[in-house]
Amino acid sequence: MKNLKQVYAALALAALASTAPVQAQEIIKLGISAPMSGAAAVWGLGMEWTAKQAAEKINLDGGVTVGGKKYNFAVVAYDNKYTAAEGTKVAQNLINRDKVKFIVGGIGTAPISALQSLSERSGVMIFISAWGKSVKGPQFPLTFTQSNTPFEILDPLYKYVLAQNPKAKTVAILNANDASGKEVELVAQKAWAAQGVKVLSSNWYERGTTQFQPVAAKLTEQKPDIIDLGVAPPADAGIVLKELGVLGWKGVKVLPVGTSATQLAQIGGAAANGTYMGYAGDYSSSLATPVQQILNQGMLAQFKEPLNPLQVSSYDSVYALKAAMEASNSIDPKKIAAVLPTLVFETSYGKTVFGSKAIYDSPQQMQVPVMITQVQDGKMVELTRIIPEELKARLAAAK
Amino acid sequence: MEIFGQLFINSLQISAAYILFSLGLTLIFGVMKVVNFAHGEFFGLVLLLIAILVPWLNSPSVPLVVAYGASGAVSILATMACGWFLYHFAFKKFQRDMVGSFVLSVGLSLLIQGLFLEFFGGVPIKLPDLIEGNLRILGGAITTQRLVLTLIALLVAVTMCWLIAATKLGKSLRAVSEDHEAAMLQGIPYRKTALYGFLIATFLAAIAGALLAPVTVISANVGSDFLIKGFIAIVIGGLGSIPGSIIGSILIAVIESVGGYYFDPSLATLAMFVITMLVLLVRPKGIMGNG
Repeated sequence: MKNLKQVYAALALAALASTAPVQAQEIIKLGISAPMSGAAAVWGLGMEWTAKQAAEKINLDGGVTVGGKKYNFAVVAYDNKYTAAEGTKVAQNLINRDKVKFIVGGIGTAPISALQSLSERSGVMIFISAWGKSVKGPQFPLTFTQSNTPFEILDPLYKYVLAQNPKAKTVAILNANDASGKEVELVAQKAWAAQGVKVLSSNWYERGTTQFQPVAAKLTEQKPDIIDLGVAPPADAGIVLKELGVLGWKGVKVLPVGTSATQLAQIGGAAANGTYMGYAGDYSSSLATPVQQILNQGMLAQFKEPLNPLQVSSYDSVYALKAAMEASNSIDPKKIAAVLPTLVFETSYGKTVFGSKAIYDSPQQMQVPVMITQVQDGKMVELTRIIPEELKARLAAAK
Repeated sequence: MEIFGQLFINSLQISAAYILFSLGLTLIFGVMKVVNFAHGEFFGLVLLLIAILVPWLNSPSVPLVVAYGASGAVSILATMACGWFLYHFAFKKFQRDMVGSFVLSVGLSLLIQGLFLEFFGGVPIKLPDLIEGNLRILGGAITTQRLVLTLIALLVAVTMCWLIAATKLGKSLRAVSEDHEAAMLQGIPYRKTALYGFLIATFLAAIAGALLAPVTVISANVGSDFLIKGFIAIVIGGLGSIPGSIIGSILIAVIESVGGYYFDPSLATLAMFVITMLVLLVRPKGIMGNG
């Protein structure tokens, strides 16, 4: 509580300072390519908002110091509509028109793959939340993932769900028919099989679908114990859950990419209760840091949605970028990218590192906790928080 | 047996939404020979206005049903006014000009979607249910709300068919649709008829939006999601044909429902495009022909 008051006081001072004349400093543009309309809009809009909060705070604290020179951050965000076609347009706008050298937020494997094909060639460093494994590796030295992906989430999530529901033996999976869905489905199949759960069917839907009754009928066809809604964003997942409720299906509901209960419960109603999520956190609780609590309040005020890991990830990547710029004493993306995996840096979660070389052959994954939550009475309840072993070891070594 | 009932119920409720949407599209094409890619924006405007007005009006002293009714009426009127404005300052100048109207309507669609995003934001909104509870019919499950809305939608479609088939205005619309010059020689005022046709189409899009408001997730680009299915329906049924748009809508609803169940929802979508291509190859004017 005391810490929270200190942060409020600091922010109040910062707000006062913002009225003072701003020192003339060079601007470094930070790009964002994320869905800002449609079912996943709240992810992209929130990501833009948190990146702007980080940029403003850094600017107010004096900016980024490189080679004795001060730089300020400015965020430029575009709607990629979760599609490869729009992702290509956004990439062109950011890299060729706006001359952005650092992209601090990206959502969607398909639009991010489109962005990446240009960014790596153009020497642009990108921080992304795309779930596909194919976007990382030594062949993409300028790409970093700033939040957990299925490779970090699914195993602990499924283990937890099965521990709570030991009688569940079968699952039906639903995913969006795009690059994110295709990659996650493969990981999910293996992860369920590894836990001894039989995958009865794996189903697909197109993003932009408005009528989910046939999808729900198909999912319940073989009477699965569990339905895994894969990468469906909250708005789509909410409708599917509602339709499952209409059909009278009462099983275990899992939404690995579930980022908050608000939209899910608003759309899915009572049918959303009981849904396990692997990509949400209760940032209002005492488990959250003071910075996260303030960001959470800001998100609620701005979007009527609590903060989620996807949105906060761009805040963290702005700070990771600042740390790497100052450590490398350069604004050259290649030099910054080379230094970043060696650093311990501050984020909204506290100190963290980039790692997971064992999975991706390159340390490009930001190490943040896996938070398992559940929708209970229309509200999200955090059930457990798992700190990655690699992070524990690196922080211990750094001490 | 139960699954057949469910597939029938699913097809019925999906086709009701598509019928209302595609009727307007086909009417505009029939009367004005305009392929209106901005049609979805009329549908979207109603939904977005209702999404703002219902929470604003709904209070302990204003029941939800009243809030929905008042919001629906205001939103439909506002959309009709918007349709009138667009007709007078844009579409009137591109009647019977397929290329010009195509460029105009695509441009308008993008412009309006941008304005929607600016004014309404991109966050999807779900309004509260108007009627609670589920029903079982022929072994299939449906929410009471969906059933009521489906029946109203079908009633609107039947009324529309009657209007086209039996009224003086309907006969004028059909005459203009078949041969506008011959219709004018018979004393039918073409411009006035075209305006009425455009406004009726706007009204149908607005009614579809108002009816779907309690059951759909509302976002700035919701209109374009329906537009694709609406176009598939009228291409299959026959551009400009009212019965054709109904047949086309039912067909794609059945493909979506039955194909989605027995094969895959994505394959069902693919099947719609394949059938559209086959229809265009075998019967380029659609099942019922043009007009």
